[in-house]
Amino acid sequence: MSAFLPPLSRRQMLRTASCGFGYLALSGLAATQAAPTDLTPRPPRLRARANRIIFLNMSGGPAQLDTFDYKPQVGKKPHPGSVVPFKQRGESGLWISDLLPNIARHADKLCVLNAMHCDTGIHAQSMLQLHTGDRLRPCPSMGAWVSYGLGTENQNLPGFISLNTAKPSEYASAGLPPVHAGTPIGINGEDMSRATLADISSQHLSPTLKRRQLDLIQEINRDHLLRRADDAQLEGVIQTLELGFRMQSVAPDLLDLSRESAATLDRYQVGKNYSAGTCKASDFGRQCLLARRFCEAGVRFIELNHGSWDQHTDHRRDLHANCASTDAPIAALLDDLDQRGLLEDTLVVWGGEFGRPGLTPGDGKDQTGHNARAFTFWLAGGGVKPGFTHGRTSDTGAECVEGKVHFRDLHATLLHLLGLDHENLAIVQGGRRIRLTGTEGGSVVRPILT
Amino acid sequence: MPPAAFITAPCLFPLALACTLLASALGCSLCAGEITDSQRHFFEAKIRPALVTHCYECHAADSKKLGGKLLLDSPTEMLSGGQSGPALIPGDPDSSLLLQALRYDGLEMPPSKPLPPAIIADFEQWIRMGAPDPRPSGPTTAKPSATADLASLWAYQARQSPPTPAVSSVAWPRSSSDSFILAAMERAQLPPSPDATPATLIRRLYFDLIGLPPTADEVDTFVAACGQSLTAPSAELAIQTLVDQLLQSPHFGERWGRHWLDVARYAESNGNDGLSRNPSFPHAWRYRDYVIAAFNEDLPYHRFITEQIAGDLLAADTPAQRDRHLIATGFLALCAKPAKAMNENFEMDVVADQIDLVGSGLLGLTIACARCHDHKTDPISTREYYAIAGIFKSTETLWGAAAMQGLTAPQTPLHQLHAHSNTGPHPALDAIFAAYKPRRPPAKASFSYPPENGLAMGVRDAKTIADCALNIAGESKKLGPKIPRGFLQTAAFGDLDLPVPASASGRLQLAQWLAHPANPQPARVLVNRVWLHLFGQGIVRTPDDFGVFGDRPSHPALLDHLATRFIAEGWSIKKLIRHLVLSRTYRQASDHPTSHDTDPSNRWFTRQSLRRLDAEALRDAILACSGQLDRQPAQGSLIQSRDVLINELGNLHQPSRHRSVYLLMLRNAMPPELTPFNLPDAVRVTGQRDTSILATQALYLLNNPFLITQSQHFAQRLLDPATPSAERVRTAYRAAFSRNPSPQEIQRAESFLQEVELTLVSSQPNDPQRTLTAWTTFCQALLASSELRYLD
Repeated sequence: MSAFLPPLSRRQMLRTASCGFGYLALSGLAATQAAPTDLTPRPPRLRARANRIIFLNMSGGPAQLDTFDYKPQVGKKPHPGSVVPFKQRGESGLWISDLLPNIARHADKLCVLNAMHCDTGIHAQSMLQLHTGDRLRPCPSMGAWVSYGLGTENQNLPGFISLNTAKPSEYASAGLPPVHAGTPIGINGEDMSRATLADISSQHLSPTLKRRQLDLIQEINRDHLLRRADDAQLEGVIQTLELGFRMQSVAPDLLDLSRESAATLDRYQVGKNYSAGTCKASDFGRQCLLARRFCEAGVRFIELNHGSWDQHTDHRRDLHANCASTDAPIAALLDDLDQRGLLEDTLVVWGGEFGRPGLTPGDGKDQTGHNARAFTFWLAGGGVKPGFTHGRTSDTGAECVEGKVHFRDLHATLLHLLGLDHENLAIVQGGRRIRLTGTEGGSVVRPILT
Repeated sequence: MPPAAFITAPCLFPLALACTLLASALGCSLCAGEITDSQRHFFEAKIRPALVTHCYECHAADSKKLGGKLLLDSPTEMLSGGQSGPALIPGDPDSSLLLQALRYDGLEMPPSKPLPPAIIADFEQWIRMGAPDPRPSGPTTAKPSATADLASLWAYQARQSPPTPAVSSVAWPRSSSDSFILAAMERAQLPPSPDATPATLIRRLYFDLIGLPPTADEVDTFVAACGQSLTAPSAELAIQTLVDQLLQSPHFGERWGRHWLDVARYAESNGNDGLSRNPSFPHAWRYRDYVIAAFNEDLPYHRFITEQIAGDLLAADTPAQRDRHLIATGFLALCAKPAKAMNENFEMDVVADQIDLVGSGLLGLTIACARCHDHKTDPISTREYYAIAGIFKSTETLWGAAAMQGLTAPQTPLHQLHAHSNTGPHPALDAIFAAYKPRRPPAKASFSYPPENGLAMGVRDAKTIADCALNIAGESKKLGPKIPRGFLQTAAFGDLDLPVPASASGRLQLAQWLAHPANPQPARVLVNRVWLHLFGQGIVRTPDDFGVFGDRPSHPALLDHLATRFIAEGWSIKKLIRHLVLSRTYRQASDHPTSHDTDPSNRWFTRQSLRRLDAEALRDAILACSGQLDRQPAQGSLIQSRDVLINELGNLHQPSRHRSVYLLMLRNAMPPELTPFNLPDAVRVTGQRDTSILATQALYLLNNPFLITQSQHFAQRLLDPATPSAERVRTAYRAAFSRNPSPQEIQRAESFLQEVELTLVSSQPNDPQRTLTAWTTFCQALLASSELRYLD
């Protein structure tokens, strides 16, 4: 942590200014967000096509051949391919499976990447690589990089929120200042209707008394700081106390869905859970509605989690449940973002750690494995071509044929869309230069940009 | 089609491309020193993996049968070639035999089937670049790479006994360590900070040595004994008396044992196995108690290491001692395992964790990097990795029933104890378990034990003792030659004559090798760990990595001096701590402005560091303030004797008044009273915790029920009706901050309390209730303030 603080310059600055953030906070000026903090919004280096990201993390390896990458039978001999019906949708004629009728309404908003590939078919490693660019070592997560690069639009909220999270390593700040770590809301397996920010509210004091109490704390803290001339840590304490206090005023309302109309809750299917086999209850509707609310409130990076798409057995049943769990909520989210004009500068990203090989129709089998060599992601919103398909796979969907996109390329592209240059968004830690796209680097997928 | 690398190169590495073209134009030589970073990267990313995977089986020094007398594992050997002549001609791919063979043009290599075109294209490009090769020249039977300069390989040098340096300010040092520190300061022309006040020093010593605050009376007694300043004649005796008393306290082991548990990645459950299953470790707490006792008894560190690595192989005089040795080996069994069902490398992942524990934890070296390839920077070869791996592969790791979940991990037996009886399940969780229905019925337990015996995790020698085959690229299904069991071979480590017997795993020899006075690293690493807990930063600031990627020591001579002294004093951690806390360096003030300006990162230890209490010390301090702390050790663990998936049970944590070290430490579900303040994840060795400052910590301090409850207790301590409010404020300040409040602070507190009471009149008409609320609000402010959390 200390490696990221420039103590000398900060100290000198504070001395010449004769008052640090601590003073500002206490004089009530903090509310104007005039003081520099780690989360202050920063203009991107490049032209930004999107200002925030909603990442729909579909863990387990979604079956792309029965959702977005249509592989009908060709030739006489049966071969692996799609086993559920597909239709061409919208004016773009994108192929989308009948299991996703609501997302299909938004076909003309989607930019489908059919030739995704990655390095390994091991769940945990690939999931880590999808999040951090590295499948072995702890590295900063995408959301942490974005918060680090751009700050947050709303000083009353963290820059990176992860809903229904699985592993801390997937939303870690790792070498970045910890303020950029994902703030988890709900741990995978918990009942999402009870998921909240820890200690976000309490009833033991009225808001007035809480403020009065915080003022006393800050006076004591300021004395402590002044006795030591100044200190970056003690200033950080004063600063984060104010942020935490401000979060209390905003976050409980954002997390409280009780004032949403019954129609909205119904559109998002809040509280409906289709759990079957691998498909776990995730209250994805609540996650999507929360994502919209955080998005409106200016959170930079919001991750949602649904799993598991790991349908080794009972492929059809579990796939149906996974699609049913996520289809309407995602469609409602796209509807609302579109209607509110947010889709123009919000990028929605859908995908998982890899895909699956196809089933062969008529052979009676209902089992699939993992395929890291070819799978599908889709993007929608800020800066990507709508109703567009990029990349092609072989007739069985097993291999990429053209337009290959590695996780590294996806990372480079997402950062690029936010106006960040993946080559320069880097830190040096223990002699290693660390960036999201790793030592090998990625390439921006230019054909999909508007 | 152009070579794969060129497709992405223009947008990716414009600079790299330029270098590449330049290099090929000039016909870059093979000398490793002239390789650019991009060339090195190209080789490591494209060429080395292909050579290792597809060629080394028959064309390396290790190969069982060398093909065509051609070695491809060294640049000079590639150039001089085998039976058919040089394998390659730098800059001329088409004339290079290697490429002809890969293209199946005349020669056909590899013989099974041709490599994918992309890899062949990589070789073509590489040869055209001039075949830049960072591998060491010469035959590879010699020791692995020494690409790094000597200064960066300092950890691989024998330990020195440097003389105590001379200093100009002869009056300042109080110990030999002070002379090293002061000499460096004088070279940098920096003055030390003045001594702290006695009141500051006693608070520092209490938290550093036992993790608890002093009482106000203890502060008064000490300050009086010191005679107001640390330079007063009576001060020295007062300090020594206090230090010796704290070192003898049973709370010492609770404090320093916890530091070791961070290194040992201690936890009481496996953590998420990748299938969202988190089986309990119902016997891990015995290892916790072992560690606490070891620190309290000042078990010599070389003995401490030996018991943890090979306790099961040591002779014991009594059943109790035997138990203790077995429990110690829990060190090696506590790892967070990925699900067996998902993982072809399961066994080797367990071994990898053990190697990392020995490497990062005891040796301060990232041996684990050599699992898939020779270490990129440190002189650690894959051979050495698998030499150590053979020791652990010949060891049976006893983690227990893994909640009887076959997909997660196979069930193993446990050590049966004879002097420790079975505790049975903890009654505090009875209600939770009565209501619990497992989502899927667990398998039957594979092992049963006499009901009265206690059990422990640990290790023992496996039935099959065998060397481990090198796993090519870390894949346990691609096997290379078998590597004889052994240790690191680099000069300073290799001279100890400790042959591994054919009939034993070699753990005992590994322990002897680690605990050998001639092994330079374990003592250095331990001394540095102790130093960083007392000074805020290590002499080496990467306590788990002393290798090339790690930090250089700020005071290399001091590090060796302390390590040598540590061994000479019988590997006694208490003597080491005593030496350090009695130094002048330790008792410097932390807030001297000059030092902050001239030595901003405190690299030269020109002041004491301002340090945040860790999560455990903070919770313990809050309990001490509120008067609720139960200073007795907690018995056992909430999860004892329960083999379950803790992820199916919701919150298992229960209110406790015991010290934090005894709380239930479940991976992925740590105690909520500790989690906001940077607990380690207990998955890897953690020599130094993060000290992040987050808004979620603020929420905890303002709203968490623990804080509110303890504030009420704290307030109730103060509310003797006969005591005037100014006196109550004084008591509160003394409890929270170990100092008296100033008149202004008393006045501020009193007006705050009046204001709060006024605000509450309408909502809380009952006088005593209102007073309690007001004082609770005030006490919480003290508990939440930075002065309580930060140690001067």
